[in-house]
Amino acid sequence: MIVFDHVSKVYPNGTVGLKDINLSIQDGEFVAIIGRSGAGKSTLLRSVNRMHDITEGTLTVEGVNVSTLKGKELRRFRRGIGMVFQSFNLVSRTTVIRNVLAARVPEMPFWRVLLGAFRKEDKITALESLDKVGILDKAYIRADQLSGGQQQRVALARTLAQNPKIILADEPVAALDPVTAKQVMEDFVRINKEMGISILLNIHHVELAIEYADRIIGIHAGQIVYDGPSKEVNQDVLDAIYKEAVPQGKQT
Amino acid sequence: MSFYDRIFKPRRHTLSNGKVVEERFTRLPLIMLIILVCTAISVRITGFSFSVLLSGGQRFFDILFDMFPPNTSYLPKIWTPLLDTIKMSLLGSFIGAVLSIPFAILAASNIVTNRALVFVVRLFLSLVRTLPTLVCALIATYIFGLGTMAGTCAIAVFTFAYVGKQLFEIIETVDMGPFEAMEALGATRLQAFIASVFPQVLPSYLSVSLFCLEGNVRYASILGYVGAGGLGLIMNEKIGWREYSSVGMILIVLFVTVIAIEGLSHAVRKRLT
Ligand SMILES: Nc1ncnc2c1ncn2[C@@H]1O[C@H](COP(=O)(O)OP(=O)(O)OP(=O)(O)O)[C@@H](O)[C@H]1O
Ligand SMILES: [Mg+2]
Repeated sequence: MIVFDHVSKVYPNGTVGLKDINLSIQDGEFVAIIGRSGAGKSTLLRSVNRMHDITEGTLTVEGVNVSTLKGKELRRFRRGIGMVFQSFNLVSRTTVIRNVLAARVPEMPFWRVLLGAFRKEDKITALESLDKVGILDKAYIRADQLSGGQQQRVALARTLAQNPKIILADEPVAALDPVTAKQVMEDFVRINKEMGISILLNIHHVELAIEYADRIIGIHAGQIVYDGPSKEVNQDVLDAIYKEAVPQGKQT
Repeated sequence: MSFYDRIFKPRRHTLSNGKVVEERFTRLPLIMLIILVCTAISVRITGFSFSVLLSGGQRFFDILFDMFPPNTSYLPKIWTPLLDTIKMSLLGSFIGAVLSIPFAILAASNIVTNRALVFVVRLFLSLVRTLPTLVCALIATYIFGLGTMAGTCAIAVFTFAYVGKQLFEIIETVDMGPFEAMEALGATRLQAFIASVFPQVLPSYLSVSLFCLEGNVRYASILGYVGAGGLGLIMNEKIGWREYSSVGMILIVLFVTVIAIEGLSHAVRKRLT
């Protein structure tokens, strides 16, 4: 469970990223976050696994106050949360399976990391994760020889190999064509339904968000302007989410 | 309009729709003038004179002709120093290239967040780089005595500084996306580096190390002059005795070796990228 309680985030340069966010996400939910560019979607997502620090309020994930974590505790906490990026962020020069095995690195002794000596059970986990996203046959191919959709699946498999309770996805389909985008969204749905992993996903395609997510959160200038079932999103809601941002200083 | 433009008038182009574009006159005359002045000044300062060059050049060709035909009977005596030279450069390059890795990591500002640490490590690398290899070899002969050990050390130090500098620059241009992904899944910065940055920089690192090795073979042959072993030792000796035909033989062997190693390393480097 993820609970935002009056959370705000101001960047060191004074930009307001989030403003008084109150939000609670249950286990196993599939939530899409929509909003204009610069609305604060990435900021929201990245505060969940503390890739960004919040400046006010409390953010609780699985009963842990995120702001109190540091060092080893923070890294152990992050292992329970998967993250998928718009640009896939794979190591292009190595094989697909090595990219997936990267998820096991935090638990390995240093010498094994250095030599790249992965244990058998880790390899099995990695191959099973690849199987879950349907690209088991690509395991020993170099990652840069795959198409964008396949690369995003590798990233998804890497996340699954972490065995996470939550997956955060920052515009995972923005670099993909419409058909591939749908396939990857279906992967997310399957992972969500079959494995019960909560999914928080930023997305610019409103239709995809409504089609695949159960719940939509609309963000405008760092504030939540809509939070409800995806079925109830109508034109008025979209207008509120996508209206011109009020210039800072004029806000009341 | 600057002073220059008033002397060399810009050319005007009129387009069919009446717009006018000015093309400034080439700066070439100005650049030529500056180069000429600089050359004149440096000739003055260094006391360069053509007559000396001509007469000295004459002498150079005398020696060159004395080298032919090379003294082939001297060949068997060259093998040991040649092997010494190759050993020095191989071992020295290897030690230097391996030692440079941790320093290059510490000098990469995208991996190490501590600005002060990055600055100190970079300063150290620059200091080592300014130390000429010959001087380094000379110092090494005082510590380890005459011989190949000193030469190996000198080459290791040079390689360390050169590869270290190149490597941290390679590390800084790397795609940080995979590194961020590693941090997000709970890896330490060191683990993230090994798993995501190292595979990206490995080919370039090997390539730079091999390139350095190529140069080191040539360096290693000079190091004998300060007593650090290898071909330079006998070359110095033979020049001293004015046995130019033996010197010619040494040079031919060195030439063939350098070409062979450069060819080999070039072929390997090509396959790396
Ligand atoms: N590192 C940073 N330092 C300062 N300001 C930042 C930083 N990152 C983001 N911002 C600002 O915070 C605001 C929210 O950014 P955020 O990246 O969360 O937007 P977003 O909704 O993800 O946009 P997009 O759809 O373009 O990805 C923007 O005004 C942005 O300029
Ligand atoms: Mg974003």
